[in-house]
Amino acid sequence: MDRELTIWLLIFAVGAITYTARLSFIALFARRDMPPLLAEALKHVPVAMLTAIVLPAVVFLPTGVLRLDVGNPKLIAALVAGAVAWWSKSAVATIVVGMIVLWSLRWFMG
Amino acid sequence: MRTHFSRPAFLEGIRDMAPMMLGVIPFGMVCGVGAISAGASPVAALAMSMIMFSGAAQIVATQLLVAGAPFAVILLSCLVVSLRLLMYSATMAPYLRPLDHRWRNLLSFVLTDQAFAGTLQRFKRSDDLRANASYFLGTGALLWGTWQIATLAGIVAGQVIPASWQLEFVVPLCFLAVLVPLLRDRVSIVVFAVAAIAVVALDAMPLRLSMICGGLLGIAAGILGDKVMGKRG
Repeated sequence: MDRELTIWLLIFAVGAITYTARLSFIALFARRDMPPLLAEALKHVPVAMLTAIVLPAVVFLPTGVLRLDVGNPKLIAALVAGAVAWWSKSAVATIVVGMIVLWSLRWFMG
Repeated sequence: MRTHFSRPAFLEGIRDMAPMMLGVIPFGMVCGVGAISAGASPVAALAMSMIMFSGAAQIVATQLLVAGAPFAVILLSCLVVSLRLLMYSATMAPYLRPLDHRWRNLLSFVLTDQAFAGTLQRFKRSDDLRANASYFLGTGALLWGTWQIATLAGIVAGQVIPASWQLEFVVPLCFLAVLVPLLRDRVSIVVFAVAAIAVVALDAMPLRLSMICGGLLGIAAGILGDKVMGKRG
């Protein structure tokens, strides 16, 4: 198949997949009640999914090696930024402090 | 549509999501560059960002195209990386239920990792549905618009932001700002610990399946934790 045609078919097919996934439960539970177990499970989605997204971005070096020691600047930056998030609850403060720590550590470590 | 639109809340959503753009722009540029290198025309590369509107799905699709994977394999892989959207959809469903279906359909289109994390606190804090929906639309509109501009920049200029700036780290920092204040009870700390250990332990899984598996294990631990430690208030 022609590459350009393949790409256009992919765009619409994957677009349909992502939109269906996004709309799925929003449409499904618009008219009926949610099963109690599902409602209970959903309370934990934010903590569970945010952890699952954040952790790999922090503990793995760009090379894919797991580093849980002070030699990983992203880990130190995330710990300091996490403390800022705890006290300030501010996204701006968390980003600013986290990036400053990350850049400083990389600068000092060379 | 108009009955649910609140201009101040819409603008507030844009303002609160603005810092996240520092991390979204480099990611969008990578998607633009990736689509071109996979053989897409500039129009198709932009359409990819406009219609798929998912960094994870776009990266997977373009990488597999370059690798010469069959069409069905690419679709299945994009489905797998989109599974987490099901959980966001289910979590937002009760909040969006009272809205008009046009609002629900529109807000669903802009439901991303960033919009989910960014609007969650707002929906929990306030029950002003009209303001919440407009706030959500504001965050979604900024994300969608920025995503297109960043993709276009990637198509036209290539990767001009040096990788050494590590701006992509802004995205996990934003999620961290939402996550940390949620860890205020024992069950949440258990969910965090189980999800954290699982996502790292399962890292070798293909297609970032470790993310959805780690998340699901964390949720299971939370349900169990509620039973053992008693319901949260």
